[in-house]
Amino acid sequence: MRHIIERAAANGASHSEVFALSSLRTEVGFETNRLKKVSRTEERGVALRVVADGRIGFATSTKPGDVDSLVESALATARYGQEAEFRFASAVEPPEVVTTDERVAGLDIEDMLARAEDGIERILGYDDRLNCSCETSQEIQEIRVATSEGLDAGFERTLYRFTIEASFVEEGNFLSCHAYYGGTALDAEGQKLVYRVIENFKNARQNVDVAPGPSLVLLTPSAVADIMLTLNYAVNAAMVERRISPLTGRLGETIFDERITIYDDGLAKDGYATAPFDDEGVPSQRTAVIDSGVLKHFLTDLRTSQKLGLPPTGNGLRLKRFVATKDLGKLPAPEITNWEMAAGDTPHEELVARMSTGVIVDRIMGVVMGNLIAGDFSGNVSLGFKVENGKLRGRVKDTMIAGNVYELMRDKVVGISSDVERVGLLGGVGSHRYPYVLLKDVAVSTRG
Amino acid sequence: MKDRLERTIRKFSSRCDYLEIRIEETHETRVVLNGPRLEDVGCRIDFGGNVRALHKGGWGFASFNSVDRLDEFAEHAIDQAKLVGRETSTLAPVEPARDDVLLDLRSDPRDVPLEEKVETMTAYNEQALAAHELIVNTATRYFDRIHRCWFANSEGSLVYQERADLGGAVAAYASDGGDTQSYWVPFGSSDDFSVVRGLEPGVAEACEVAVAKLTAPRVKGGEYTVVLDPRLAGVFIHEAFGHLSEGDNVYEDENLQEVMVLGREFGRPFLNVYDSGLEKGTRGHVVYDDEGVRTEKTYLIREGKLVGRLHSRETAGKTGERATGNARAIDYRFPPLPRMRTTVIEPGEATFEDLVAEIDLGVYCISASGGQTNGEMFTFTAANAYMIRNGKLAEMVRDVTLTGNVFVTLKNIDALANDVGIHDGPGGCGKAGQFPLPVSDGSPHVRIRNVVIGGR
Repeated sequence: MRHIIERAAANGASHSEVFALSSLRTEVGFETNRLKKVSRTEERGVALRVVADGRIGFATSTKPGDVDSLVESALATARYGQEAEFRFASAVEPPEVVTTDERVAGLDIEDMLARAEDGIERILGYDDRLNCSCETSQEIQEIRVATSEGLDAGFERTLYRFTIEASFVEEGNFLSCHAYYGGTALDAEGQKLVYRVIENFKNARQNVDVAPGPSLVLLTPSAVADIMLTLNYAVNAAMVERRISPLTGRLGETIFDERITIYDDGLAKDGYATAPFDDEGVPSQRTAVIDSGVLKHFLTDLRTSQKLGLPPTGNGLRLKRFVATKDLGKLPAPEITNWEMAAGDTPHEELVARMSTGVIVDRIMGVVMGNLIAGDFSGNVSLGFKVENGKLRGRVKDTMIAGNVYELMRDKVVGISSDVERVGLLGGVGSHRYPYVLLKDVAVSTRG
Repeated sequence: MKDRLERTIRKFSSRCDYLEIRIEETHETRVVLNGPRLEDVGCRIDFGGNVRALHKGGWGFASFNSVDRLDEFAEHAIDQAKLVGRETSTLAPVEPARDDVLLDLRSDPRDVPLEEKVETMTAYNEQALAAHELIVNTATRYFDRIHRCWFANSEGSLVYQERADLGGAVAAYASDGGDTQSYWVPFGSSDDFSVVRGLEPGVAEACEVAVAKLTAPRVKGGEYTVVLDPRLAGVFIHEAFGHLSEGDNVYEDENLQEVMVLGREFGRPFLNVYDSGLEKGTRGHVVYDDEGVRTEKTYLIREGKLVGRLHSRETAGKTGERATGNARAIDYRFPPLPRMRTTVIEPGEATFEDLVAEIDLGVYCISASGGQTNGEMFTFTAANAYMIRNGKLAEMVRDVTLTGNVFVTLKNIDALANDVGIHDGPGGCGKAGQFPLPVSDGSPHVRIRNVVIGGR
């Protein structure tokens, strides 16, 4: 790492930053109830940012030992690059946080097979006509960041992922239910995930119609995660800088119901995105985004923090869009880590029992396609249930819900569950913790 | 490099049923502007490879950056395949290919200096920012990639391919303080840098539409007859039908095989849909797929009936069908899967005016800001839309998200215009964690009855 910084300096860089990633991932995959593949992905690469004549250059390479062309490319792009409006990180003591689990590091292929087989067996035990696919993976990452400002830090992280999906296809009716886990530690709730899939299947085997119009809607934790994508974007300091976030200039204002508190927690226990520091070397922290309905913080990377005069929050990450895996070729940008919404005071079963008529929404398809940044979402209820007199009556289909997060979460919150579940984001792995949220007057559209 | 691949194949091929090696080197250049700020001018060198082994029906896969340890990774892949394999390996037969496919570009992005790429995109960006006082922001991006790929397998295939891929967009964001609306002009190509030039009218239109959407009313939710423009209809056929045609969804699922039986009626007799790797210049143009299979034009729907599927060698072999050259991977980190290339609805005979004239109350939906499917249901959002009233285009509306059942909706296509166009953008297709894969789609204007539009 130091030799790259020295080489960059010798070639005319006034400042530089090297990010190095190496990872080894082993994955087993089952399709249609059978073991289909085992794969092993070894990845190494470096990303170099330089400042030359006040401008930033950026180059990445996965070619081992290819320092010359890396430095040359970075300096070449610096001739046309963005103005350097910030300084790379200097050495600080990062917080203590556990990012490895010996049980994950020690998993062998046989262990992963056993975990997947166990999940599939239990689902087939419920109904042997179902088709299950399941992936289990173990990853060991090593991340280092070094800068010309004296930072040279690294850490190791273990990641365990488990995803299971069961589907049933018959003429005129497709049904698929899935569950995910992703974190630095082994899943303590593995069985619970499988039970949730089975439970959803039981409730969804019969299709029922719902009436269109404003409705009482109970969002499950995964549906809350889906619609909170809007807020994920809006508190991103880069969106605030560009003034396209509707929350621009509104720090300190009450934007949500006072029962709502949300954290971005880069230090969350076992969190999928948990790390001592972000991909620019800035220490991770637990940041209150919304505190009792009040907008408290925007999430920053080095550049937006220094340019907008906002506190550094350690959210400068290099992530691939939509899949939340590290992407060497991406410039660091503000990204969420692990989100957590505070629990309410009513068990979710009781929220359901209180619904006279309404819809439970678990999965919203297409939610990313709305005018997200404005808070608008709209999507097909790909998994949802009709509720009548506090009882589930069957699955709703051909149904869309739409709304604006800032209206719904401020004026339409009926209740928040006291139980919180760990869910993935955008149909992927992750570790966001949300309660169930009961909302009134949500727009529901259906056929006819 | 070829010798090296063949050496490893020779050394290990007797130890499993099938073995292949793919090595890739990609050089990428990017320019990204957000608002007035030039955010990223960068380049990326991505070099790596993978070995994939098949034994008794089980796959082992090892990807890596250290090509000098190739033999070690071949052993990993074979050991893994042996751990998995319990059945029989079935790959559809193909002629081994020995070929070199070199770049054949109309206009080579490498001949354009980085400085000129930055200046060109900066000029569009400035045009957009100056277009209207309500245009508060932009997202302007450009990328080009040159891929070199070496492929060898244990059946004697040895293919070297070069490919180019470029794309981008200028997006304009209008805001009146409370609300933000956007529209864009996308571009993409696999052989022609000149698609980047002359976008000024498109940038102007993007700004006008974004501003107009601020004051447009929201569409009222409900069921409508819709007319889709070629861009949105292209996304529709990709999302609603293309994914369902991918062989890996069907080949081991007996229930889905019944639903997707060849010969089944999917649409009216004038509906024809194909997926092709042969459309030169489109981002979905592919000469050999990532299993070394020569690509082709594959009809999926002919005269309303299901006639084909998109296959890898395994999904073709297991269904007793032909390999179609659809096995694709986004890069060496991933094994190939059945994926689309350029997916097209063939034109009909009506004019756009004919389609609209027969509608009392409907919605004209233009360009998509995204689409998604879960097999049976699809959903996508129109980037721009107008009401149709009494056979004529009427006021602009916004927040138009369409949803429906694939099978019902395809049968509800009741008219096709004669104006087919293939369109490219900067995006790509996502599946099983592999995103974005360059694909293209094309269609004429399409009219569909009884589509649910979400709204408040």
